[in-house]
Amino acid sequence: MRRAHLLGLGFLSPALVIIVMLFLVPVLLTVMFSFTNMSTATGISGGAYEINSASLRKLADAGAQESFLDALGQEAFVVDDAGITAVAAAYGEQFANEIGSQMLGERFTSRRDLERAFRKLKSRPRSTRDIKKAADLFKRSVLNVRFETADGLVGAVTGNGIAMTPDQQELLTRTIYTGWSWTTDNFALMTQIPYIWRVAGNTVMYVVLTLSVSVGLGLFLAITTFYLPSLPAASFRAIWFLPRILPNVIFVLMWKWLAWDTGFISSFLANFGVAPRNWMLDTDIHAWVFIVLINGMVGASLGMILFGSAIKAIPQPMLYASEVDGASRWQQIRYIILPQLRWPIMFICAYSTLSLMTSFEYILLSTDGGPGGATEVWSLMAFHTALDNYAGNLQYGLGAAMALVLVIVGILASLVYLRIFNFNDLVAKPRIEQ
Amino acid sequence: MTNLVSKLRQSTAAAVLAVTAASFAGDAFAKDLTITVWAGGTNDSDVYRLDAIEMAADILTREYAILGEELNITVEKKRDFADWGAFKQAVTLAAESGDAPNIVVTSHLDIAPWSQAGLIVPVEDYVDMDTWPLNNIYDNLLEITSYNGVVYGLPQDAESRPFFFWKDTMKKIGYTDEEIDALPAKVESGDYTLANVLEDAKKAVDMELVEEGYGFYPRVSNGPDYAQFYQSFGGELLDKESGKLLLDKQAMTDFYQFFVDAVDAKVTRKNHIGTEWDQWYAEVASGKAATWHGGTWHYARYTGKEGLDDFFGNIQFTLIPAGNENGRANTITQPLAYLLTAQDNEDDVEIAAQLIKIASEPRINTLHAIKSAHLGIAKEQSNIELYANDRWAAEATERLLGQANAQPNHTDYGQFSQIMFKGLETAWTGTKTPAEAVAEVEAEMKATLGDEVIIR
Repeated sequence: MRRAHLLGLGFLSPALVIIVMLFLVPVLLTVMFSFTNMSTATGISGGAYEINSASLRKLADAGAQESFLDALGQEAFVVDDAGITAVAAAYGEQFANEIGSQMLGERFTSRRDLERAFRKLKSRPRSTRDIKKAADLFKRSVLNVRFETADGLVGAVTGNGIAMTPDQQELLTRTIYTGWSWTTDNFALMTQIPYIWRVAGNTVMYVVLTLSVSVGLGLFLAITTFYLPSLPAASFRAIWFLPRILPNVIFVLMWKWLAWDTGFISSFLANFGVAPRNWMLDTDIHAWVFIVLINGMVGASLGMILFGSAIKAIPQPMLYASEVDGASRWQQIRYIILPQLRWPIMFICAYSTLSLMTSFEYILLSTDGGPGGATEVWSLMAFHTALDNYAGNLQYGLGAAMALVLVIVGILASLVYLRIFNFNDLVAKPRIEQ
Repeated sequence: MTNLVSKLRQSTAAAVLAVTAASFAGDAFAKDLTITVWAGGTNDSDVYRLDAIEMAADILTREYAILGEELNITVEKKRDFADWGAFKQAVTLAAESGDAPNIVVTSHLDIAPWSQAGLIVPVEDYVDMDTWPLNNIYDNLLEITSYNGVVYGLPQDAESRPFFFWKDTMKKIGYTDEEIDALPAKVESGDYTLANVLEDAKKAVDMELVEEGYGFYPRVSNGPDYAQFYQSFGGELLDKESGKLLLDKQAMTDFYQFFVDAVDAKVTRKNHIGTEWDQWYAEVASGKAATWHGGTWHYARYTGKEGLDDFFGNIQFTLIPAGNENGRANTITQPLAYLLTAQDNEDDVEIAAQLIKIASEPRINTLHAIKSAHLGIAKEQSNIELYANDRWAAEATERLLGQANAQPNHTDYGQFSQIMFKGLETAWTGTKTPAEAVAEVEAEMKATLGDEVIIR
């Protein structure tokens, strides 16, 4: 018994690994990301503390005193003894002495000016980088320096003689942090984005229409090929299976060739005096027809295979008997085939709803959500927000929150389906062995 | 058996020693390194963005050799990205996973967010800005590649985005040659506006000189070009005083309305956005459209791949006309820049910095400028014959660059421009009226940009 358990676990382990790596981990990461304000600018791996004109502006907005801001925003390179000692240690006495004798006490407002002064000295290092590093040894301000930790920043600020109250210190480190922080704003933000409901509506429309086409067409193909002689039936099935086995990009490219201004439909209709147009993007309705057809055909091929094999499983004598009773083809379909396809149809519906809800690759490749966002569905919106847009402003946090909505809807829908399917019945022990 | 094992051990140890010795010896005499360069939005005619680095590597290797150091640089070039979005995604994600290319060629707009995220480092920390050829680069370009007063990138090219007219069509709707020649000046002074564009485009469509939807034939995807039309109607992108982004609702509404009017007048197609670029280039370069707008670099495409022999005989170009009395004729320049990414090894960054510095040599940059019909970055380029004798570079620089402004370097500008374009698309395609679209834009900007945008 024990060994059987282990064996079972052994057989299960690849599936477990896949579930953990490809489902649980991404979901957990999505949950985590969705509670942050991560974006291109904040980075993913963490932030730093930097005082620069942009962060000084933020500090001013946050109510920091002007005198404090002025002190922070001051750029200063001061040739002092401490700096000279440091130069002596790093670049030799000679250079340090030359600086000491010619420049002691001088003050510069940019590193470039100090570099220029250094370059006049005979014993200066001959590498640009060393000169820059030597100049940095005289930096007596915190402007445009990146500190990895808050303590580092605070130390440098106070080290430069700028006094801070604890409140100021807190304000400073909070406001100028460049990295991400935890937040629940994404969910509130989502409700404030004006087009979000349109996208939700699009998603429902996309799932319902595509599902109808793929189930309807799949059923039609399965039933018609069932009544065909086996060779033509097999050829038809093979042809209709092409959409699924063709690489997505090629499949969609062929649709695009069909629909372009200079494509097949336009060239053909030009013979009848119809002005060429982009049939895929001409209006919202055009776009939807193409989206539903493209996705529907891919879905139909799966339906066709599943329904086809389910029809084959119907005991032939039932069909013979019905023919003896004088049933027409339609009556056979209506009273024998369809009732017995109930479970496969429900399965396809359930499975496809979940996969359609999260799939966007064909839309991305064909209309990319256009025209004017008319075919933007939820998952595509999440992708555009988090990972792909012209300006490159990737909003990982908001995008993850959008994706999380899909995860939740998906889990809820799965629970409902389990209930409808009566999962316990499906996995009940076969009666014949009892 | 033991004998064999001990022999094996001995030989392994010897091998390990030999390898270690060799690698140490190698370190002392030669430095091998691979520098990766990724360029976005780079077509066949823009290859010198990458090739320039290779040429620079050759020169740098020779400089090192003279100083007695052996430096072997392998330059790995990559430019096959589907579009700007895919390129920026690739760079960002590679950098986040610690795998960033050493040098990136991208829009100056990326400097603000990427520097905040620590993905890039300031170029001024590695090169002497006072030396050749950096001291010859136009100051305004260096300003565009700076952020918070720090020079982050070196300008790689300059460009601007003109308005184009197909001369033949303009003549057929009643313009004389002299009037066409005077157009650039009329546009600049504000005497010829976008309203006139609509009028003329409508004439061309009504007289069946061009097909419906081809009177005014805009860019087919998001880009800085559309911010120009916002500016034409008086919009400003940045409030200079506070350093915040600026949404001027009136200008935005007028700008959207212009495109809606163009669709209503049947001079622009309602479904224009999303047209294939190849189709678009072929059409505008063959006179299928009466007016359109594009970039200075289009010259290379029209006269090259599209086979337009006589550019100046067929096409007139001007600034983007003013929209109304609030706005001005304008054009946006969006210089690309060489940026240095943060790397664990500082020495690699320094070598990369030296490479982009050498690549900015006027002579090398001129190869790119002329091959790709971009504008130069350095003053001395006008003393290089290849550049000076190029009619396009000379005329485009003179007519456009003086009036050109850049988009602001601001961490949230990418989002701002994305929202602005989405709003335009919803108005253009008729999903919303311009006023509704602007209301949506305002709501989304308020929600996502918060304090960083001023709404007026």
